Amino acid sequence: MKKMLLVLVLGAGLLSGALLFAASNAQEKTAYDEDAYGPKAPIVWVKPVRSVIFEHKIHTMDAGLDCGSCHDSLFEMENGAAEKKDDFTMATLYKGGYCGSCHDGSAAFASNTRCTSCHIGARGHARLNSQGGTAVKSH
Amino acid sequence: MNNLLAGILPQSGGLEASGSGKYTLAMGVLALLSVLGVAAGVHSLIAGHEHTFGVSRGVPWGILIAAYVFFVVTSTGLCIVSSVGHVFGFENFNPIAKRAVFLSIATIVAGFLVIAFEIENSWRMPVGNVIGANLTSNIWWMGTLYGAYLFFMMIEFVMLQKEQHKAATGFGLAGLLTGVAAHSNLGAVFGLLNGREFWHGPYMPIYFITSAAMSGCVAIIFFTIIAYKANGWKMSEGMKKSMESVAKMGALMMAIIIFFTCWKMISGVTGNPPGKYETIMTLLTGSYALNFWVGEVLLGMVIPFAIILVVRGRNINALFVAALAGMVGIFVMRYDLVIVGQLVPSYHGMGLVDYPELLSYAPTLHEYLVVLGGVAFCGLFFLMGEKLFRGHVAEHS
Amino acid sequence: MKIDDLEKTTSEDLGVLPSVVRRNILKLGLVVTGMYLGGSILSLTSVRNVYGAGVVPEVGKYPYNPHYSMVIREKLCIDCEQCKEACVKTNHVPAYGFRTTILEKRRSLGGEKFETTFMPVLCNHCNRPPCVRVCPTTATWKDEKTGIVTMNPGRCIGCKTCMTACPYNARYFKEETRAVDKCDFCFESRLSKGQTTTACVEACPADVRVFGNLADPKSRVFKLVHAPETMIWVLRPETGAIPNIYYINS
Ligand code: HEC
Ligand code: HEC
Ligand code: HEC
Repeated sequence: MKKMLLVLVLGAGLLSGALLFAASNAQEKTAYDEDAYGPKAPIVWVKPVRSVIFEHKIHTMDAGLDCGSCHDSLFEMENGAAEKKDDFTMATLYKGGYCGSCHDGSAAFASNTRCTSCHIGARGHARLNSQGGTAVKSH
Repeated sequence: MNNLLAGILPQSGGLEASGSGKYTLAMGVLALLSVLGVAAGVHSLIAGHEHTFGVSRGVPWGILIAAYVFFVVTSTGLCIVSSVGHVFGFENFNPIAKRAVFLSIATIVAGFLVIAFEIENSWRMPVGNVIGANLTSNIWWMGTLYGAYLFFMMIEFVMLQKEQHKAATGFGLAGLLTGVAAHSNLGAVFGLLNGREFWHGPYMPIYFITSAAMSGCVAIIFFTIIAYKANGWKMSEGMKKSMESVAKMGALMMAIIIFFTCWKMISGVTGNPPGKYETIMTLLTGSYALNFWVGEVLLGMVIPFAIILVVRGRNINALFVAALAGMVGIFVMRYDLVIVGQLVPSYHGMGLVDYPELLSYAPTLHEYLVVLGGVAFCGLFFLMGEKLFRGHVAEHS
Repeated sequence: MKIDDLEKTTSEDLGVLPSVVRRNILKLGLVVTGMYLGGSILSLTSVRNVYGAGVVPEVGKYPYNPHYSMVIREKLCIDCEQCKEACVKTNHVPAYGFRTTILEKRRSLGGEKFETTFMPVLCNHCNRPPCVRVCPTTATWKDEKTGIVTMNPGRCIGCKTCMTACPYNARYFKEETRAVDKCDFCFESRLSKGQTTTACVEACPADVRVFGNLADPKSRVFKLVHAPETMIWVLRPETGAIPNIYYINS
């Protein structure tokens, strides 16, 4: 009788553990799928100024944009491509170029507001690097 | 010169120091440590504090300032204790007076030695202090007055040796006044900094003077007993009485310091005054709690106070333990006062990210060596004094 | 009480409150607004008057001419740190020191979100500079003409009292000159050579830092600190140092 009970308890424990494990795995899946939403690692530009961050997750998964709204009309699918161009500046953004095509105050918040949501600065960049340069947690 | 020295050095009478090997050994060790300290200090000046000291932009004052404060507090205290008998005529304090005057010189010189290495360009001081004199600067007053103080104390000592008591009393009084003025200015160096909440206010100058009196009592007991034990001298009745009186005065000062400290802590915690609260909590429960509770409270206040009360200032061995604990405790008090007062960073409480709540400081080997050198130098001075001046035996005892 | 009456009352001006009270008010202001706003409590009623009597001196009452000051349009700062680099280059600042730096504030927007504000800091060239008062050898002083707090390295004995006295952590000991070093609004490196701005102002791509003569009504700094509907604050007003770096919210 006692043995039965022990087996029962152990079994229940194992089962719930397995379930939890599966659930957490599943959650991680729905949490982020690079194929569907673009690369997970944030893109950080340091030119012309340190440092601006772009996160696919905010735009694709959270805001529901599809790849086509940016690729390849506004941005190439290549990390750092925009950075090489001379017109990658606020002036272009204000005129509706690059991020500014949406960040104009109607589709998304305007580029001349909330500077620090795109500009993480040298401090933010250093912090990203010290976290291993992969996951950016909050935002 | 020889005539002058002959006039000062007692040729006979008094107590003869045992010129044994032990004495030579002690002198040798102390001299070695002093030289080591000076070497470390000189090296730090050449290499720069940036590379040799633990001080930083946020905590620019380290253990050397603490040691300096310790020495000058003790010196001022010894001057106060010496003048109780000398200047104010309390007979019981006469037997210790000469030694106290001598040691007040020894300690302040040791203090100057230490601070010479803390001030990165001390050689610019003599000229700068004169052509650039800044009368609103407490540190200027402190330096200048301590200079005058040293001068007065030396003259007083010479006059004492020459048995010119009127002159000695006059210079003693001058020394006492400049000492107290200098010392309260040292308190004001800290107390008048509006941006440093832990220090800011009239508390510092008042506290400094009181703790000087306490340190003076502790120090004279400490050194007198060492002198007598090490040389195997027998204490006269007058000296025993004197020890008792000094101990009782010391206990009174400790009581006042305990009282001050209680209110300092209570006022720093009540209502969480910004800047001050963080510092007080660092002492009470934070990273300096060990220093505070064991160093300051137990060694510096409770143990010596309790011992003196229990033996009523009469048991010499017990008094020595009390004085030893007191000396260590007082050093910790100075250390905490200087360091902890700087730990709250300038822009605290503004919701900053990656900005320390509290800064930190730890002395480096260089700093320890310089401090040790200062202590050794003071010890050297003391031993030499005992021998040269034959136990500093006072005129009427 | 009408606004007019209120403007006549002076007793609640920051200057007359004891420092503890001021600090508490400031702290409350900090809680309410998330910033250190001098007089934020009274700003609910009469902004102009309070600031006029508060952190910004009244028009015509500037002790110096030129009265050099800097206005920091804080929310535009993106921490690109080009100001720091320019300062280092222009004034030969060693790697272990800085004359100006950028701090980072964070305010919760509820939930997981927060807002970052970068806060440039430098010497405030205070009207009542604590560092100048404590210097035993007058190695540092406030220039009588420009109000710039300057150093004479050859006179500095290295006691570092000015460093403990400065409420803004604006000073450091420079081993190369064996003296304390600090921002002098680029007086030595630029202004004295005829240039009109500091290196950091010139380098700033976002127009955060504005430098000029506060005593000149035509200057941009004057216009900024006397503009209507502007929040102006200084750092650590409770120390009584009367700083000349103004932070504005527009
Ligand atoms: C809101 C605009 C936007 C959307 C929507 C977007 N991207 Fe991007 N993507 C960018 C930007 C900006 C870059 C960086 C380009 C640069 O540095 O010049 C980029 C770069 C990339 C890169 C290259 C990254 C690397 O590390 O080299 C890939 C891959 C990519 N995107 C995939 C996608 C996919 C897949 C989607 C759709 C699920 C998508 N993107 C949607 C803006 C967007
Ligand atoms: C195709 C349109 C589009 C483009 C292009 C675009 N964004 Fe966005 N972005 C959005 C939308 C929509 C949101 C979410 C709504 C909002 O926050 O206003 C958003 C949100 C953001 C946020 C999150 C703000 C927050 O809430 O914290 C950041 C940061 C951001 N974008 C940066 C960028 C940057 C940098 C670029 C250029 C490299 C860019 N975006 C280009 C549409 C766009
Ligand atoms: C939507 C995102 C976004 C916002 C909001 C934004 N920026 Fe930018 N900013 C960029 C990008 C992208 C670049 C180019 C990449 C780089 O310089 O690293 C840039 C570049 C800059 C530059 C250097 C190029 C130039 O134009 O001189 C400055 C200065 C600048 N931003 C200032 C600001 C200021 C000030 C604000 C707030 C008023 C602001 N930015 C808001 C995305 C943004």
